[in-house]
Amino acid sequence: MNWLTSYTNLASAYIKINFKSLLAYRGAFISQMVAMFINDFVWIAFWCLFFTRFPVVKGWGVNDVITLWAIAASGFGLAHMIMGNALALPGIIMRGELDSWLLYPRAVLPHLLLGKSSASSWGDFLFGIVVYAIFVKPDLPHFSLFMALICSVAVLFVGFSVFTGSLAFFMGSAESVSVQLRIAMITFSTYPSPIFQGFVKILLFTLLPAMFVSHLTVSALRNMSMLDALYSFGGALGVLLAGIIMFYVGLRRYESGNLMEMRG
Amino acid sequence: MENAVSVSQLVKNFVLKKREGMRWTESEVKAVDGITLSIEKGQSVAFIGPNGAGKSTTIKMLTGILHPTSGEASVLGCVPWKERTRLAKRIGVVFGQRSQLWYHLPPRDTFELLSKIYEIKQDVFKSRRDMLIERFQLSEFLDTPVRKLSLGQRMRAEVACSLLHGPEVIFLDEPTIGLDVIARQELRDLISEWNRENGVTVFLTSHDAGDIQHVARRVIVINHGRVVLDDRVSRVRRQYLREKVLSVKYADTPESISLDGVKTLKESGHAFKFEVDTLAVPIEKVMSEIMRIGSVVDITIEDPPLEEVIAHIYSAPPTEFGDDAPDDEPDENESKSS
Repeated sequence: MNWLTSYTNLASAYIKINFKSLLAYRGAFISQMVAMFINDFVWIAFWCLFFTRFPVVKGWGVNDVITLWAIAASGFGLAHMIMGNALALPGIIMRGELDSWLLYPRAVLPHLLLGKSSASSWGDFLFGIVVYAIFVKPDLPHFSLFMALICSVAVLFVGFSVFTGSLAFFMGSAESVSVQLRIAMITFSTYPSPIFQGFVKILLFTLLPAMFVSHLTVSALRNMSMLDALYSFGGALGVLLAGIIMFYVGLRRYESGNLMEMRG
Repeated sequence: MENAVSVSQLVKNFVLKKREGMRWTESEVKAVDGITLSIEKGQSVAFIGPNGAGKSTTIKMLTGILHPTSGEASVLGCVPWKERTRLAKRIGVVFGQRSQLWYHLPPRDTFELLSKIYEIKQDVFKSRRDMLIERFQLSEFLDTPVRKLSLGQRMRAEVACSLLHGPEVIFLDEPTIGLDVIARQELRDLISEWNRENGVTVFLTSHDAGDIQHVARRVIVINHGRVVLDDRVSRVRRQYLREKVLSVKYADTPESISLDGVKTLKESGHAFKFEVDTLAVPIEKVMSEIMRIGSVVDITIEDPPLEEVIAHIYSAPPTEFGDDAPDDEPDENESKSS
């Protein structure tokens, strides 16, 4: 319990300082946020056009896709506005920048992840909530479950970024591999899940766990199914656990570097 | 007296992968090769050596960043790589090339964050922060974003940050790198003052002879991962930094200088470079002679570069470094170099 309180305090201190740091260049921060909001919105517009032509795709309607986009965007946003260094992990490992984090009396992974906030992720986070509230018009139970599922998806994205980023311990230059896998994960997470069947479906529940975003969350919200929500949480925790194991196994191989560094 | 740092036969090998045609071959590079040393609590030690000698690797093992290949180490009773988080609460680390200050925010915000990271009680934090602000004269730029600070101000804040949690040992890896003469001097004064008044053990690496002379009482020289010299700074200084280089610019052509122990290294117009053996002739006498023979426009006194001293130490026979000098011999930390 003490551990949890201590790390919650640390997380809130980092959220505060990261936000302050982003606001140091207010214009740049707002423009990145707005740009990401527009970028996400273009995709929603595309899907709306698509569904005017084909109203149902394997049982999915436009509201399902909007729900999916809202959850995926907000989950991804929440993950990286709080734990922005998850995106930078392969570079941090490769350049030997873990040194600074190993000097603090904290568990290195959570501390490192909290160390940065991604500006555009704030746009993603807000986009999901605004779009879900405006287009789907949920009641309170749906909205509450939606918020909980955002947290589950955030955990999953952090776990996945940690897992792929930790490949740098074993491969050295893993930045591009990690980015490619992350893009693949986002792509598969934002398409209606019923279109994937057979082997691809198995793949999307295991190696590229996009189904925990696209299938279980939408199904949980559509049917108010607590079981699907639990599966979604379970999957997210599994991916996070895999990421943590990968990171700490890799950390044993870590060789530090001597580059110039500055925070914030 | 109790040891703050004890190291025995510490070895760190790195694996180097090379591609030869279609095949990858692996070879081992010895970064640290069996270092043994101990440092008493409250001592100030300079840990020096040329680039690639193994200084930073040793510091990284002593702070728990790296695991050694073999050997033992204890810092404040903790095995650094096994008890990293416990040790981190009791040590402070300053890397001259790495910053813990937030670039876009004022130092005050970093202080606040550090209090949460180290879980310092608010009343303790406030009193310690205020004391550091006063001692390190941070008040004038405490609310200025770090990006707008001079390097000297930044390094002062950097060292203050590393002292906020009240460490018993402070590791400083080239803290004065890139600083101008005044900023360097200010930082050296602060570090040695902290060592004297608060009893903090100082473990310093630097390529600057001035840092070593001013801050440390003991110097450990390593090269190729091994300790090649471990002695008092005063003794090493007397032995190797006895030569000074004086660059003098005259208004007109001066008379020629004729003093034993003074050698003219270079002459160009009205500018001269002399090498002075301070054991053969006191520096005051040389200065008077320089002033007497002509009208001086500018003058600089320099120590020989540390790299040169290290190279000399490494090439010198081991018998030169006996440890029979009296223990009560006064340090010569007060002498300053520019």
